Amino acid sequence: MNVALGRAGVTLGLAAALLGAVTVAYGLLRRRPDLVRLSRVYAALVLLGGVVAFIAMERALITRDFTVKFVADNGSTKTPALYNVATLWGALEGSIILWATILGGYLMAVVVKFRRRLTDPLVGWALVTMLLVATFFFFLMAGPANPFRTFSPPPGFDGPGPNPLLQNHPLMAFHPPMLYLGYVGFTVPFAFAIAALVTGRVGEGWLLATRRWTLIAWGFLTVGIILGAWWSYEVLGWGGYWAWDPVENASFMPWLTGTAYLHSVLVQERRGMLRVWNISLLCATFSLTILGTFITRSGVLESVHAFTESSIGPALLIFFSIVVLATVVLIGWRGDRLRSPGRIDSPLSREGAFLANNVLFGAFAFVILIGTVFPLIVEALTSDRISVGVPYFNRMTMPIGLALLFLMAIAPVLPWRKASGELLRHRLLWPAWIGVGAMVLGVLLGARGLAPVIAFGLGGFAGGSAGRQLVLAARRQGWRGLVGRANGGMIVHLGVVIIAVAFAASSSCVRQAEFTLQVGQSASFSGHTLTFEGVTTREESAKTVQQALVRIDGTGPWGPSLNRFANGGQTIGTPSVRSTFTDDVALSIIDIKGSDAPTLTLRVTVQPLILWLWIGGGVMALGTLLAVFPGRRRNPLDPVSAPTVAAAPPRTPEPSAP
Amino acid sequence: MTAGATRSARSPVRRWVPWVAMAVVIVAVLSVATFTTRSAPTAQDRVNTISTTIKCPVCAGESVAVSNAPASLEIRKEIAEQVQQGQTDEQIRAYYAARYGEAILLTPSAEGINALVWILPVVALALALAGLAIAFRRWSLTEDSSATDADRALVASALAGGSGPPADPESPVDDDHGEGSSR
Repeated sequence: MNVALGRAGVTLGLAAALLGAVTVAYGLLRRRPDLVRLSRVYAALVLLGGVVAFIAMERALITRDFTVKFVADNGSTKTPALYNVATLWGALEGSIILWATILGGYLMAVVVKFRRRLTDPLVGWALVTMLLVATFFFFLMAGPANPFRTFSPPPGFDGPGPNPLLQNHPLMAFHPPMLYLGYVGFTVPFAFAIAALVTGRVGEGWLLATRRWTLIAWGFLTVGIILGAWWSYEVLGWGGYWAWDPVENASFMPWLTGTAYLHSVLVQERRGMLRVWNISLLCATFSLTILGTFITRSGVLESVHAFTESSIGPALLIFFSIVVLATVVLIGWRGDRLRSPGRIDSPLSREGAFLANNVLFGAFAFVILIGTVFPLIVEALTSDRISVGVPYFNRMTMPIGLALLFLMAIAPVLPWRKASGELLRHRLLWPAWIGVGAMVLGVLLGARGLAPVIAFGLGGFAGGSAGRQLVLAARRQGWRGLVGRANGGMIVHLGVVIIAVAFAASSSCVRQAEFTLQVGQSASFSGHTLTFEGVTTREESAKTVQQALVRIDGTGPWGPSLNRFANGGQTIGTPSVRSTFTDDVALSIIDIKGSDAPTLTLRVTVQPLILWLWIGGGVMALGTLLAVFPGRRRNPLDPVSAPTVAAAPPRTPEPSAP
Repeated sequence: MTAGATRSARSPVRRWVPWVAMAVVIVAVLSVATFTTRSAPTAQDRVNTISTTIKCPVCAGESVAVSNAPASLEIRKEIAEQVQQGQTDEQIRAYYAARYGEAILLTPSAEGINALVWILPVVALALALAGLAIAFRRWSLTEDSSATDADRALVASALAGGSGPPADPESPVDDDHGEGSSR
């Protein structure tokens, strides 16, 4: 029943996507608006197909229908309800269902939002592109990654359940959907970029039409990445949150190129320049999501997240090549229209800063790409096996990160076109003193080492600049000074600064040790006292939980635990973390020996400011929301550039602020 | 306060005073941060640092510092013993490279083809910056296309007649500060 329903959904989605793409494209080429308008119907059918497949799989998981092979492989009667629902995206085939369903949702949203412009070739070709992408993902479900394969379970069969790591924390229910909403969301601006190339309308229209879509996708991706780091901190129990794992890298690369795009798009809106570059960045972002899926889901790279090997690899690689090739050919074809006459007057200007931003973000993404795929390249060329890990990424990205912080401090106060030294000195004086204050404070509180202290200084500097812009905007416009793209963007900057400072502090001051304790014994470490009070054992449906009770500085007891899963016999630790605004004490159990007088081997990690990573993530999400909120409406005829001398007298660089 | 007026009256030397003071403070703070250390790294700190650079031999892409697999616990214990015996970080790393092969080290060596992973990003960044410099040079050589009288007339007629009303006289441009406000 579930198999039939699911396959019906997949078939419906595949047929609707393919037929829709062909019909709309034919209608556009033959100028048949009646056919083009059918995109509404096809989009609805694609969404319906995705939702039916999604419901069929959830129904199979919830009712433990082991005749579906995916459920037999990943489900279990013992899995608690929340993780049972989340199992859908806990393995490859199910995650493609989620991907296709979300794509159907975005497709429908585009159709609804642009309902009055459906016959506009720009919107039409964008829908064709999205339908083609949907065709690919439904094709994956119909063939290489079919989630609805059948299985005949022997009597009394019970599945192994999802990977124990994936049923250990409620964040698992939110992190992957958020990430996918981000990944898939970039399909919309990508589709409009392709449509702009196909129609030849490469001006700024498509940018304005998709700017909110891009921001929303970027916001989801940001939240997804930060939730992933949080999940890893709460679940993996090694005291860290970011390990430069290939899957983390795969999500971070499109984030970097997407962030570069969000900035450079402003140059095109205002000056009409960088057209090729912006289209390339968007296509890079979209194709990096596909490449990331390939790297992590095909089993070519080993990674803690990698699902088992499957035949999905070649399909993804071919799709990736098609996307890249199509973009390059289209850009070459429209080369004449993409040339823009403008010029950038001075490196010391808003647009100059955006260019520098793009170079740095590009370099950042490049370092991560090289580091991630380099072992593959070396193995292919020399058959030597090497590893590229955390120390490489930390060393290579640290200077880029610092340079980006510096740019974040300077760029927001730069005017368009050209800045004078006098103007910069005036606008940057207070932000710079805030940066110096942050450095002094950091050193007084015990921070040592060049890199972290510089990071604090630049963080304070960048925070000061963002704060200055917000204060000026709020003075000028009241509460409206906090909404709109530029102001929301400054709030996002504040979130980034909080994360950067927390990252610098936590990674430079991490203290870690292992202790072996008898019941009643205490240990002190890095200014904290830990007392081991005993062990409790309880049976849960899927696992046996041994929990150690440990007091930290008299608070608690905190209960890190060891979970012994019935199926598969794996033992997974669940750490316990005491978070405060100043520092985190994370406890994870390495071993518990004996039952009457247990001996506990405990790993303790003390890191400052961890909580601020998540707070910074929240601030970034809030800033994105405020940036999506419509700002002050601009009269379309208002001049966009600075007024010419004849039109208005030259203005003083700054109003005399009190 | 008329910050603008006092500012322009200042002599060039006075203008730089706060920035020089700031530079002095920065240099002082950075030298304190670099040359005074809280305490020498303990044996445990060294074990932690070394184990982040050694890959867990049985798990997928994790360092022995991260992994709690039995093999990793064993290696961590072994590193602690080697540190106790007074071996240097490099000696310990070389020991594991000899025992498990080069792939056990998470920091690729800078020899042979492996050097590319270090060099390529630097070369790419240098090329990008050079490209940017060339672009700016070309832009600075091209003539700035200034508005002709015909252009101005076009703008004026669009602002005056056109479909939209002329901008509010109170705020001729919605971007008072040239700072790209809420657009």
